[in-house]
Amino acid sequence: MAALPADDHGFRLQVRAWLEANFPHELRFPTRRLDFRRSMDWHRKLAAQGWVAPGWPREYGGMGLSAYQQVIFSEELDRAGIVVIPNFGITMLGPLLIRFGTEQQKAYYLPRILSGEDLWCQGYSEPGAGSDLASLRTSAELDGDHWVVNGQKIWTTMAQQATHIFLLVRTDRTVKKQRGISFLLVPMDSPGITVRPIDNIGGYSEFAEVFFDDVRVPRDAMVGEVNQGWSMAKALLGSERILLGSPKLAKFPLQRLEALAHTLGLFEDPVFRDRYVTLAMEVEDMVALYVRLLEVLRRGDPLGEEVSVLKLAVTELFQRVTDLLLEAAGEHGATDAVLQLGDGSTLKPVNPYYLSRPATIYGGSSEVQRNILAKALLRLPG
Amino acid sequence: MIDMPDYNAMDDEEFRRLVHDWIVANYPQELRFPPERMHWEQCGDWYLKLAEQGWLAPGWPREHGGMGLDANKLLIFMDVCESYGVGRTPDQGMTMVGPLLIQHGTEEQKAHYLPRILAGEHIWCQGYSEPGAGSDLASLRTSAVRDGDHYVVNGHKIWTTLAMDANMIFMLVRTQNTGKKQEGITFLLVPLDTPGITVRPIVNLGMHDEFAEVFFDDVRVPAANVVGGENNGWTIAKALLGHERIFIGSPKFATLAMYRLKSLAEAVGLFEDPLFVSRYTALKLDVEDLGAAYRRFVAVLKRGGHIGAEVSMLKIWNTETQQRITELMLEAAGESAGVWGGVDTADGLVRPAGEFIGSRPTTIYGGSNEVQRNILAKAALGLPS
Amino acid sequence: MEDISLQSKIDVLTEEQVLIQDSAIAFIAADEELKRVRANRFQQPGFDRKLWREVADAGWLGLLIPEQQGGVGLGFADLTLVLIQLGKGLTPVPFVATAVLAARTLARAEDPALVDEYLSRLIAGDWLPVLAWQEQRAGLDTAAEAVVCKADRLHGRKMFVPDAGGADAFIVSVAEAGGTALYMVDRDAPGLSLEFEQRVDGGFFAHLDFADTPAGPRIAGPEQGAALLAEVLDEGRLAASAELLGVMTRALEISVDYIQQRVQFDKPIGSFQAIQHKTVDLFILSEISRSVVLQSAALFDSETDARRRAVAASQVKARCSDAALKIGKDAIQLHGGIGYTDECNIGLYLKKAMYLGSWLGNASAHRARYAELTLGVAQ
Repeated sequence: MAALPADDHGFRLQVRAWLEANFPHELRFPTRRLDFRRSMDWHRKLAAQGWVAPGWPREYGGMGLSAYQQVIFSEELDRAGIVVIPNFGITMLGPLLIRFGTEQQKAYYLPRILSGEDLWCQGYSEPGAGSDLASLRTSAELDGDHWVVNGQKIWTTMAQQATHIFLLVRTDRTVKKQRGISFLLVPMDSPGITVRPIDNIGGYSEFAEVFFDDVRVPRDAMVGEVNQGWSMAKALLGSERILLGSPKLAKFPLQRLEALAHTLGLFEDPVFRDRYVTLAMEVEDMVALYVRLLEVLRRGDPLGEEVSVLKLAVTELFQRVTDLLLEAAGEHGATDAVLQLGDGSTLKPVNPYYLSRPATIYGGSSEVQRNILAKALLRLPG
Repeated sequence: MIDMPDYNAMDDEEFRRLVHDWIVANYPQELRFPPERMHWEQCGDWYLKLAEQGWLAPGWPREHGGMGLDANKLLIFMDVCESYGVGRTPDQGMTMVGPLLIQHGTEEQKAHYLPRILAGEHIWCQGYSEPGAGSDLASLRTSAVRDGDHYVVNGHKIWTTLAMDANMIFMLVRTQNTGKKQEGITFLLVPLDTPGITVRPIVNLGMHDEFAEVFFDDVRVPAANVVGGENNGWTIAKALLGHERIFIGSPKFATLAMYRLKSLAEAVGLFEDPLFVSRYTALKLDVEDLGAAYRRFVAVLKRGGHIGAEVSMLKIWNTETQQRITELMLEAAGESAGVWGGVDTADGLVRPAGEFIGSRPTTIYGGSNEVQRNILAKAALGLPS
Repeated sequence: MEDISLQSKIDVLTEEQVLIQDSAIAFIAADEELKRVRANRFQQPGFDRKLWREVADAGWLGLLIPEQQGGVGLGFADLTLVLIQLGKGLTPVPFVATAVLAARTLARAEDPALVDEYLSRLIAGDWLPVLAWQEQRAGLDTAAEAVVCKADRLHGRKMFVPDAGGADAFIVSVAEAGGTALYMVDRDAPGLSLEFEQRVDGGFFAHLDFADTPAGPRIAGPEQGAALLAEVLDEGRLAASAELLGVMTRALEISVDYIQQRVQFDKPIGSFQAIQHKTVDLFILSEISRSVVLQSAALFDSETDARRRAVAASQVKARCSDAALKIGKDAIQLHGGIGYTDECNIGLYLKKAMYLGSWLGNASAHRARYAELTLGVAQ
């Protein structure tokens, strides 16, 4: 990887220039985010540049960026209109393997994640285990040298295009529910796996149900010890949850709103200007909180329940931003219309609006988050 | 008994004009839209004027000295008063004790107490809440122990409106400690000059004393002062809330706040700011919508129907809208948000800080908005406990 | 009172900062009941001169002043630690008005001899100047108009000068040929009269009327004054925001404590979900505010560009003004009836928020300024 400028501003400019030169213009600001297939070429370009894993340590092939630099990198991706479905191998599995995997697991899987040869999806939630994830029931039973998996996962983003899935499975039904969960790595082409895409309110599918019918997985496909899955996943919940609360969630639609507003001359309306600025300032406030929390992870310290503060605040802000975006779009907000904006990009206002609706549900609903925070941080009873 | 026309038979507009004209002629100009709850020394004369006119108790039946107004005319009467800015007197006798005695009092009690309310001889205050029994009123602990012909009362009441101006207090006391807590409560009438009673005014955040604490130390009260029978207090006190609930939902607070916001805005030139206009308009619409909701419930009363717990929604919307209005007032006032003094307007002094602070307790008293939402969840939405 | 903020969980302080913070915590712990706040209310000067001495003795008045001018030479990251505690304690002293606004103005005075003479006395707590710049309610403009200086005589009116009743001198911005200049004026100068307005938190605003008042030493000439003022006011906004952060934090702590203890319907009311959710939302607001204060302080310590500082100042003042008012009023709601009494301390936090939140520009004024600075669209 080429040397990066030490100062933040220089780093930003370097990233911006490279993105400008290397990301295809016709794919900018897509009306829906690019799925694994459509973003594969881009993944490879990033990999060749050494920029595919901004948050990983350098010794594992990452960029080793500081907290704020990761925010800068993310902001520049947004600015360039690069909207892709997150690569869960990069964002979730990689860090987990780096922390808990064996040397063989790291040596085998990490390079394949980086190269894009393996495309991972996350198998956590189940129809009966959403907010209460620990009550999951997909089971894995040991049969000789294999784990045999039976059950069903839901809301599995990109299961329909993934090559692999990482699973939380039940391996012990006799203990407290969190203590009987393990972490398994499973190829999607294993016999017994069925994928059923689910359409969202936008009418297209990004996630799916995944059914497991006597799926056999080698023993060494378990990460960590048996029944250690929940605590490992929780340990990394910090870095996952911080992503769920990344200010980019709100900042990206805000930028689209800004572009729309310029196109329609909305900034001449003082009322709109005030509403826009109020949201813009809130987004910047979220960046302050995000950087403060990210710094903890960068120091190598764990993040506890406090990260929920960010997720709660950012996802609700995300919704307020898309509310204003939809409103600003006027009648177009009630149709599937794709608008041509003054900066040459296109925008389908209903898409970010739809996307924002489940943000306060997935990754722990806002109501549950508040319950948890009340007890964990404020020590309130009940 | 004053000889009064049959107001209910009158044409609505004629009645409205009658009330309006008399109020304009008799209500002191300087007391219009009082910023704070008035004490007796300010409004006592007005109280007595109302009494002389026979208009002190518009809702009481005529045979007990009231105006005997039906729901429709009563609402018109209240509306005229509110629009003109007639402030409240110490009116617990008229609004609470009187109706309660009319329903549940003995003939002797009615004969004794009702005329004294109408004459202004008895000024009443309410002894319900206690430091440990606010939202959870049923857990009250002020006790009344029977001793021969008397009850001996010991305890501590709080949030007693205008107790310092009253000479009588009506209370809920505990007469039984076994069984459900609601079933051991008795309704008692007590003269405030009975030995053992201490009244201590409470200064609020607006630096005004509207409420008081009342302490009872071995206070002897005749057993004849029980209303509705021993251990029946909770039931009759709750029933009182019946159709009175509509008044909790009157848009008056919000409307008055809007009126003051408008005066302030005109004085400071805020209507030139499109941003302010937008926010003002949104609030104005909230108040108009509240009015529509209010009239919908009123229509039920006019039809002779009954309104239930769902009227809580009016109290919630009313008080929270009022708070939003005073928040805009505060924001519009710049540094004057932080001072007690006001801004001079064409309609007199408007005090943004005072308005803002004064709107704070509306979501607490009369059943806090949290409790009101609980009630609505169960009564209107049928959600489980 | 337990510290529920995330500071202990996620922030890292230097050893020196820990010491500064600890001494500020100990300072306000001496009056947890807020007796001094109540003792100073509603009477001139509205603040505690004795307490001012103690603040001086703690070394805080010189915290932001460079060492070569007799100060401690620390930064905003350190000052905010003190201010947050002063906010928590509702400490009745004009810290921002004097130790930030007046002191930072003096530190930039064109005449170094002036600086030497007056700053040391300010830092020692012996001399208390207050900045008098504002001419209109809700005004943000630093260009003086209403107060003019002709032949070394001041005429006109300044408004909303905090705690002027206890000041020894004023630093006044005046319109002069060429721009806005700054002059020192003695409290006892002839032709100067003060009109007081009682603040809700117990202190006073004064409106200063100058009638042929002789000007004292000049602090800054007409080419420098407006820009100097703008810089100092933005520093004052950050400082006021830190104080507001303290106010909202303590109001929240007290409320959490209360709802854990107050029993109704046989349970602590803090166990009811609606109350929990409301309280959590206030907590989130306070932590966002804290994050912005920390970030802004770091920016002020490293950034000299006036525009970037102005953007940060508007961001932090808007956020903290809004949040402190919201938390202050919801804290009363959480307390139920007693929250509305003057006897209960919780109302004092709302009142402080009403003052500090609207001084130096309230939230909506700063949103408008932020829009001007960042959208590049003229009003």
